Formats: sequence, C-alpha cells, structure tokens
Amino acid sequence: MSGEFTRFCPVEELPPGAKKAVRINETWVLVCNADNRLFAVSGICSHQARPLLNGRVRNCKITCPVHGARFDLATGEPLDLPATKPIDTYEFRVVEGWIEVRV
Amino acid sequence: MSGKGAGTLQALKPGEARCPNEPTTQEIIAQDRVAAPGWVRSESYEFLGDEDISIDRYIDPAFAKKEFDTLWTRTWQFACREEHIPEVGDYYVYDIGRHSLIVTRVAANEVRAYHNTCLHRGTRLRAPGSGGFASEFKCPFHGWSWNIDGSLKEVVCEWDFPHVNAANYSLPEARVERLAGFVFINMDRDAPALADYLGPEFMGHINQWKLEDRYIYCHVQKSLPANWKLSMEAFMEAYHVLETHPQVAVSNADANSQYDVFGKHVDRFISSLGVLSPHLRGRYTEQDILDQFTIGDSSVLGGEDRTLREGETARQRMADIMREMFEKGTNSDLSAVSDSEILDCFSYTVFPNTFMFPGISLPMVYRFRPDPADHRKTIYEVLFMRPVPVGGSRPEPAEVVRLRDGQSFTEAQGMDPGFGAILDQDTENLILQQQGLEGSAKPGITLGNYQEIRVRHFERAVDAYVGDGI
Repeated sequence: MSGEFTRFCPVEELPPGAKKAVRINETWVLVCNADNRLFAVSGICSHQARPLLNGRVRNCKITCPVHGARFDLATGEPLDLPATKPIDTYEFRVVEGWIEVRV
Repeated sequence: MSGKGAGTLQALKPGEARCPNEPTTQEIIAQDRVAAPGWVRSESYEFLGDEDISIDRYIDPAFAKKEFDTLWTRTWQFACREEHIPEVGDYYVYDIGRHSLIVTRVAANEVRAYHNTCLHRGTRLRAPGSGGFASEFKCPFHGWSWNIDGSLKEVVCEWDFPHVNAANYSLPEARVERLAGFVFINMDRDAPALADYLGPEFMGHINQWKLEDRYIYCHVQKSLPANWKLSMEAFMEAYHVLETHPQVAVSNADANSQYDVFGKHVDRFISSLGVLSPHLRGRYTEQDILDQFTIGDSSVLGGEDRTLREGETARQRMADIMREMFEKGTNSDLSAVSDSEILDCFSYTVFPNTFMFPGISLPMVYRFRPDPADHRKTIYEVLFMRPVPVGGSRPEPAEVVRLRDGQSFTEAQGMDPGFGAILDQDTENLILQQQGLEGSAKPGITLGNYQEIRVRHFERAVDAYVGDGI
C-alpha cells in the first residue's frame, strides 16, 4: 500500500446496511457496512467499469447491478461471471469519528 | 427381529407385512405427552407391485437425455426461497440441465421466471447460479436490455433492427407458483396447477408447517458421485440406517418407521427418534438410548444433565430437553408443537427433486439436480431451516457453502458434525452403488414392499414422465 489516509465520511453516515461511494483523487471508493463490519473496495466493477454503488450487498458480497458480477467485499475476489478479475480493496481506519481510506 | 423365516408372514398379502413384534410409528407417537397433529397421525401406504426396477435409468446417458427432455421440462421444481428475493428487482438464477431461469420479484406480491437467454444472440443475461438485484436485465454482450417485468427495454442501434417488434421480444416465461416460502417453477404451460400437482393430502400437510416462517441458516452444496435418482433414493428409507449409520441406530426406530404415498408426486417416511432400533432390542437400556441420541441441529443443545428419572423414557426426556433448548436457541415459541414434531424425522419427497423435513430437530430441505455434464453425478444441496426469531427481523439466508468433490460434509461451516458424518456415509455408499450398477449382471434392483415403497413410488413417477404417461 502507498499513499496517505484520506477522510472518507463520518462513521455515523454508514449505519449497518449502508454504503457510500466517494472519489478520492481519481479513484472511486465504495465503503459498505455489511454485517456490522466496514469494507472499503473499488466503486467500479472490474467487468465493464460500471458503478457498484447500487448493487445488492448480502453476506459481505456485492453484486453489480448492471450484469450481475459478484465480489467478496473482504478480498475483492470475483465470485460470479461475467467478472473474472478482482476489484481493489483498500486499507481503512476510523479516526475521531471519521472513516479514513488509503488508496 | 432379524433372521426370522418368511413362514409366519405367508398369510399376509404383499405389502401388508410390518416389522414383527414391535410398536408401529403410530403406537410410539400415541404415547407422547404433547399429542401429534393429524398430519402426523395419518397413514397412506399403498402396495405398488414387487417387480424389479430396471437399471438402465441409472447408467444410460440416453435415459438422462430423455429425462431432460420430458421430465425436467414438465415438473414443478423448487427454484428458490422467497427470502432469496425479498425486494422488487431481486433475482435468483435457477439452473436445471441446459435450462436456466431468472426468478425475480417484479412486485411485492409477484414473482416471475424468465428464460435466461438474450433474445438477440443467446448470451446468458445472468450467470448460472448467481443472484442479486437488478433494475434491468442487460446483456453483457451488446447491451440489449429488458425491464424486470420482462418487457423489452432497449435495443442498442435500434435503427438496425426494424424487424424486431418489441411486443414479440419480451423474455419468455416459465410458470411460477409460491407455497410456504418456496418459489416453484414449471416450464410446461399445460402442467396442472401446483396444488393439483401436489395433491390435497400434501397440501393439507404443508399448509400447517409454517415453513414460510423459517429462514435458511446453513446451505451446503456438493457434487455427489452418482445418478440423481440413486442419490435421492439413498434418503428415502430408514432401512439402511443399521448398516450405514450404526451410530444413530440405538436411538432410531428404523425397521418400524412408517412409509406413505400421497398421489403421484409426494411420499414420505416418519422415523421415530429417541426409541431403540428393533434390530437392537434387549441390548440397550433407556439410559443408553438417551446417551447416544444425536440430532441434526445439535448446536442449539447445551450440556444438559441426561440422567433419566425412575420410569422416565428416553424419548419423553429428549422431547422435553429439545423443546426447551430449541426455544432458547432460536428464540421461538414451541409450546404448542408436539413431541413428535420436535423429535422425529419427517422426510417428504416432492417430485422430482426436493425433500422437505418439517420437523424441528431435523429441519432440512434437500435439492437434487442432475449434473448436465455427467449423468453419474448429482448437484446436491442441503438447507437447514430455523424458525425466524420471535419479535426479531428475518435473518438473511445463508450463503451457499460449496464443498469440493471428496471433501467431507463435516468441514462445511454451520453443518452439525454428526449430521455431516451421516451424509459422508451416504456418499460413500453412492460411489460403490453407481459402480456396482454399471457392471451388474442382474438387470434390475430389488425393493422391499414396505420400507422401500418410496423408491418404487418415485420411479413410477419417473417412468410416467419419461414414458409420457402422465
């Protein structure tokens, strides 16, 4: 990992079940609160570069709403076609009530 | 009970014999403190002949092809649970043979199933076995898209397709019916309604089970090394328990289990637990039975004192313990549930490929599908169903745990290890049974008239579809 941690959003903006996408420099980052755990991943599907923000999250996996590719939020690994490549995952921390992500 | 000659049984007509000198399932259940409901207290055995069943159905790829063409395209099949698709736009892809259906909720109270093939050049719109949420179904190839109600939404470069009339390009649908939290599909427009297909007796049973109020807390999938019908038939009788699962025979009324058939498509057994196998009569005490009692969902049981009081039976004690523990473990009210429902194994087959176990201690659903690439392999799934907690929100259905070939069921996260060991024992048999049938010098398998009636009943239904007799 390289780069500095960047403030993403206040942690209270992501209650259980919520997700939010923010562009950090040129990278869309998606943070999800799934099963009371936070995950920071790429906000862009590895299949055809569509936004993942409106995808359904279940059991810590996100499904792309466009073509149905599914990814493990913890590892970024693709679980269903049409994706065959992973999405990036990012290191994050919570400092003074803010989620901070390192891209 | 074993080793007796047939001489004492000759006065009975075929199918009338029962395990001699032992209580029937109904007699066992009649002794329970909390009485069983009518669906438990019913009996519906029917003698269906005693001729051998031909082996080709298990080993011939041509038979498997006939099944794909005439059976799987005309039967009602459990595609998914409603909990898999709770919101409008949620979908679940159900695959059977070369067919794939996108089962999706199009309105709060409406579910449809679309053939999962783009009407442009045939690409799957969603990957087999996948699920998620969609606001449209867009083909990943050229981007043709359909609304979730199945109507054509967009043809990219519409100017090049003047011959495509949107009215004729809605996604083709299979029929859908919902029952007890299950979504059933049928690709045959002429098939009977689901309730007629299942029959009034079974409908009277399932409507009392409240399976719609359960959720999937564990879901495991594995490829079994045998034809799908052999795989299913391994679970249709308790006759194999003594030899295959000796660890549970001490507390299972195996040889005096009850077998019933209901119409063309449903059959069941009731196998009482907490009582000694007739095979082992005189060799174990009531305390032994209690000590060796194992169940499918023992994770909710604590370290209970299992010392029987004077005159107390193992069965009654186990029912009392399990009622209390399952109430605590699942935060549900089981006070009105009978001892038999708490304890016993109720195994129903819903033709062609689903088992439902409506009991509390053994709360499973099985699904079997033929592997389209190999008629000697079966895609097997076991779902454990728990009551939704009282006053709580419905938990999300569990993710499917996919085991590798040869991997033990005991390694599946969420699976009770004792239950996993039982499934491993069944799998080991299936390897040898498929091998044995492939090289059998005898053209048919031989069935017991009573204990194996479900196998015969099931194969009659297979024959009816494959032979076009339904």
